[in-house]
Amino acid sequence: MSVVAPSIGAPADRIEGRDKVAGKATYAFEYEQVNVAYAAIVQSSIAKGTVRAVDSAAALALPGVLAVLSHENAPTLSAEGELAVLQSLEVSYRGQIVAAVIADSLETARHAGQLVRVDYDVAQHDVELRPDHPRLYKPDRVNPNFPTDSEQGDVEQALATATITVDETYTTPAQHNNPMEPHATIAVWENDGLTLYDSNQGAWRVAQTLAPIFGIDVGQVRVISPHVGGGFGSKGTPRPHAVLAAMCAQHVQRAVKLAVTRQQMFTLTGYRTPTIQRLQLGADRDGRISAIAHDVVEQTSTVQEFAEQTAVATRMMYASPNRRTTHRLVALNLPTPAWMRAPGECPGMYALESALDELAVACDLDPVELRIRNEPDVDPETGNRFSTRNLVACLREGAQRFGWSDRIPEPASRRAARWMVGMGVAAATYPARRAPSTAHANAEADGTFTIRITASDIGTGARTVLTQIAADTLDAPIERVRVEIGDSSSGPAQVAGGSSGTSSWGTAVVKACRLLRAGQTEVSVDTSDDVDGGEPLTKQAFGAHFAEVLVDVDTGEVRVPRMVGVFGCGRIINPKTARSQFIGGMTMGVSMALFEETLLDPHLGAYVNHDLAMYHVPTNADIGEIDVAWIDEEDFAVNPMGAKGLGEIGIVGCAAAVANAVYNATGIRIRDLPITPAKLVGRL
Amino acid sequence: MAVLLPTTIDETLAALAATPAALVLAGGTDVMVDVNEGRRRPEHVVCLRRVETLRARSVENGTLVLGAATTYTELLEPEIAAVAPAITDAARTVGSPQIRNAGTIGGNLATASPAGDTLPVLLALGASVEIDGPAGRRRIALQDFLVGPKRSALEPGDLMIAVRIPIRRGPQEYLKVGTRNAMVIAVASLALVVDLDARTVGIGLGSVGPTAFLAAAAAEWLTPRLVWADDRVSLPQAADAATFAGLVAAAAQPIDDHRSTARYRTHAIEVMASRALRRAVQFGAPHRAAT
Repeated sequence: MSVVAPSIGAPADRIEGRDKVAGKATYAFEYEQVNVAYAAIVQSSIAKGTVRAVDSAAALALPGVLAVLSHENAPTLSAEGELAVLQSLEVSYRGQIVAAVIADSLETARHAGQLVRVDYDVAQHDVELRPDHPRLYKPDRVNPNFPTDSEQGDVEQALATATITVDETYTTPAQHNNPMEPHATIAVWENDGLTLYDSNQGAWRVAQTLAPIFGIDVGQVRVISPHVGGGFGSKGTPRPHAVLAAMCAQHVQRAVKLAVTRQQMFTLTGYRTPTIQRLQLGADRDGRISAIAHDVVEQTSTVQEFAEQTAVATRMMYASPNRRTTHRLVALNLPTPAWMRAPGECPGMYALESALDELAVACDLDPVELRIRNEPDVDPETGNRFSTRNLVACLREGAQRFGWSDRIPEPASRRAARWMVGMGVAAATYPARRAPSTAHANAEADGTFTIRITASDIGTGARTVLTQIAADTLDAPIERVRVEIGDSSSGPAQVAGGSSGTSSWGTAVVKACRLLRAGQTEVSVDTSDDVDGGEPLTKQAFGAHFAEVLVDVDTGEVRVPRMVGVFGCGRIINPKTARSQFIGGMTMGVSMALFEETLLDPHLGAYVNHDLAMYHVPTNADIGEIDVAWIDEEDFAVNPMGAKGLGEIGIVGCAAAVANAVYNATGIRIRDLPITPAKLVGRL
Repeated sequence: MAVLLPTTIDETLAALAATPAALVLAGGTDVMVDVNEGRRRPEHVVCLRRVETLRARSVENGTLVLGAATTYTELLEPEIAAVAPAITDAARTVGSPQIRNAGTIGGNLATASPAGDTLPVLLALGASVEIDGPAGRRRIALQDFLVGPKRSALEPGDLMIAVRIPIRRGPQEYLKVGTRNAMVIAVASLALVVDLDARTVGIGLGSVGPTAFLAAAAAEWLTPRLVWADDRVSLPQAADAATFAGLVAAAAQPIDDHRSTARYRTHAIEVMASRALRRAVQFGAPHRAAT
């Protein structure tokens, strides 16, 4: 019998929390290097064309400048797409890297960067996403590897014969990830090997991607990233600056530090595509859905394709015999969109859950009840069983905690002085994924344990959670367990993305620790053969968001004083870090509903509000009370911990709950995010 | 880039006389953004941080005199809130605590952004700016100091010494609409200052024109319609409030930009004018104070 209290389920403090608040945790740019040089990025000032000439003379004349790198003197790389840095004269978007300056100091490098003159042959750019764009095309697959379209039954016929239909178009704007810590890389070449101190969501992924670009073996690249100040998807794959840092270090034969500025992050580190989503629902008078069509138009770049899987959640969310989803893209002269905060589910569920609310109004049904009525027994897309599906329990528990029964269904019927008061609900879902990882574990002579895994803690609490998982598997207190993460020398592992970290890394940690318990003292494991197989099941987390909003009848300002989120995410390993994740996701949901929008200047071909003074995320004063709860759920079909990922589900559906509450408060349906006062005023 | 660190006003003036093109650095909350983004690359910088006398504060014959380097955080102090509460209200809406610790009232005025938070308040209060420089020591009324978008009456070699603010007895309001609840640049802002002794009203507007400016016509229209008592002011015809708000909105000359639309700004100004008046002025027939 165990005498050690279980760690899983305990609200353990973050292991590195004290170091972080004391400023002792070292981030990528802070590693001290001998004889270090600094690189500054020079970006294109046109959105389409070719580089005619790069004049480096004035930059090179500046004391302290070591070199200017451009297509004229850059080494040839084995790289494609955004990572083919300085490999071509072609300019595909405004802000593309066209040169770099390397100097003795950061200030000199930046100054010299402004002195580099680049002449272009300018071509006419195309940067505007339109639903009728003549170059719309059907991508082969959508992110990460889903079929582009789906069709079951006869949607058109079902819509034509449905008693009640909803046919509306919803749009979401371009949005930028904006983690607190900007992307940064230090590159050091030693003994033909490359060491990177880098801010990323997966050190192994960085090593694996960069090694072939420089024609070296993955074992010759070491990526060190123990602390990362947020990513939100933008650090999930290596960005061009990491390649450039390694090129610069090779060129000057010195360690080179390269920090991406906040402004540069708006072109070089990914963003969420704007989306145009047409939702069609057909139902009978009782709200039973007979047809769902979700047709999405979005953008990619001319550099490489990224197809956000916006309509994919619609494939399994609600029962309906007739269903269609499509994704169409147009390649524009803009940076390549990439992963951002629940790519696919986040914008797609905003549209679906808004349309559900409109259907509830059309059927004169409570929107919670409408969702419960359309709960499927099995995955309607595949016919597979759900490993666990607690959407109904989340809706019921959330309605209870929120006081949903106080809601007046008739819109614009509640006032508190100048504030119009409304309540909204929306459902959430996110896949419970798992990917292969490796781990190493040692039973030390002093009775402690060391686990090494190339996991990544981007603020999620991964280090702490993995320590808890190891401790319970070893039946040891967490004080005797040390988990070392963020170093690619620990071998292949999943990135911190797709809410799959705990599931993927945890599976490897459990496997390694079980071998130690069985008596081994030093083990290395690989879960490649463990993560698949068995009965085909649909594995998804579910949740429900409830929001109360206040809309100022005169100015159209929207406040969100109160939200409730209830989630079914399997076993909660650490309630403290889990709660923080959910609150963070819901805060981003409010941000998406009310604030975030990157504005395009079609003439310049550029995103113009490219800093945190102009690209707004919420402040503390914008966020009210957030009540988070979870359903008692364990799902051992997902992994041996019984836990589902929860990093992203908090944002999914949240914006729809806010938008639906704005409708309930005002009777106005804003279908184009964000909901700004200017869109409401004059209609109140 | 040479950075000069004078410690007295005379040293500062001498430094500016020697290098009239020098960039004057106070809190740096605007200047450093420009420097970091490469919009300015000054050869000489004159830093005011060590000039203690630029943070002096005094009251002279009913005028609050604030050294030009008084920070927003200092504007929150009770002795300023007691005599010019709208200044404190405006300062509280500026940036984050770090920004308020660095940014200064003089910097806010010299930057001359139409969105500067203290500008509508200081206009409504009838403030003036004290300047020293090659043309000698002089005072300029604030509305004459703000000559254009991000342009002031400061000439090369000039140094702003102080801001002179008449202390006025009566209600003061500062209202601001932004795109979020804190750390935000005004989409539209309005200050309304009632002077119970002079029996005047001042209305300053921000973010709805090329500069912050006074809605003088609206104030002139309103003043004769008010009934003044020693401790309060009333508007007998409540319907006049709507006309007044319309006149204030008519003075606005806003533009569309990334923060909002011209249409919304005009609407917001009208709402704020109405709200500010309602807070400052008693509506309906004046009641005789109980004796």
